[in-house]
Amino acid sequence: MIGKCFGALCIISVAFAIFSGNLEGINEGILSGAQKSVTTTLSLLGIMVFWNGIMEVFKDCGLISFLAKILKPVLKFVFPRAFKEKKGDKEITACISANLLGLSNATTPLALNAIEKLNEGRNSDKATNDMITLSIIGSSCFCLVPTTVIAVRTAMKASITYEIIVPVWIVSGVCMCLGILLSRIVGKISGDS
Amino acid sequence: MEIVKKISLFVLPCVVFLVAIIIFFGKKSYFESFLRGAKNGIKSSFAILPTMCALIVSVSMFLSSGIEPIISKYLSPILGFLKIPSELFPLVLLRPFSGSASIATFEGILEKYGPDSLIGICASVIMASSDTVIYVICMYFSTTKIRKTRHALPIALFISFFCVLLSSIVSRVFLNMLFN
Repeated sequence: MIGKCFGALCIISVAFAIFSGNLEGINEGILSGAQKSVTTTLSLLGIMVFWNGIMEVFKDCGLISFLAKILKPVLKFVFPRAFKEKKGDKEITACISANLLGLSNATTPLALNAIEKLNEGRNSDKATNDMITLSIIGSSCFCLVPTTVIAVRTAMKASITYEIIVPVWIVSGVCMCLGILLSRIVGKISGDS
Repeated sequence: MEIVKKISLFVLPCVVFLVAIIIFFGKKSYFESFLRGAKNGIKSSFAILPTMCALIVSVSMFLSSGIEPIISKYLSPILGFLKIPSELFPLVLLRPFSGSASIATFEGILEKYGPDSLIGICASVIMASSDTVIYVICMYFSTTKIRKTRHALPIALFISFFCVLLSSIVSRVFLNMLFN
């Protein structure tokens, strides 16, 4: 799937650039894109290192197990297999709690952790239903305060600034629930791998 | 609303404060745990680099090839049919792929149509409640051998389209309520 995405984007772009004679533009695009991937990864590095450290402390002192107990009734429905086999349930809880607290920067390393744990001992190149649900929750971006958007609106001298969180909560909440529901339904129909 | 902002500013420092207390007063050496976790963080960030590189290059090629305005032109009637303002189309197209390009487009839309117009509000809601789904999904699976993500991407893309539809409805209602 990822490879197909990459391939499709590249083929379309190169074909169109040749067709429209915009070769200078696409050359620039290739070089700057490769450069940007390194700056993006490096800018993430510090956050990844720090949050992984913080969460390891939480895991070791039992806070995550405590949170897992509280969130279990809900999460058991969302991630049935992980909670049944007790494999990766702690990592999932850590990731979801960070997501709910709006620590979006911390969510990525925790999600990577959770998926690695869920994948332990498996030798398949297919994702399990729980992994897919987690990735859909991660991509639905439920956040308490959309700081970037509010900052841009304030800079543009909007009269509606913080009030925007009301429609944002409604839309992102509904989208996240629908995502979880769809993922569970499709997962159930297609069976787990 | 000021309270929400204040609370959100407290979350991050409080988490760090809590960890600091655990490390300082804990009986076990929790600093060791911190270092062990941090080391794993280095590993995963370098593990995502190859995936990120492939994706960012392909998106950057796509944006610089000049095809995006043309696709927008042909697909905007569909959005009009669903009562989504067609001025939002570049944002709808770019949001799943590129964070920086979608922020730039978002700023352009606010500047052109005004932040308090229906288009401006709708763009803000889309921007805040959807994410660069393609990156997120590729990144999540990049440290494992998993290549078949099954229904993850189709559902995520469907949700991000549904988010646009819902945003345009909710923004209309929101503006009506605010000015009545």
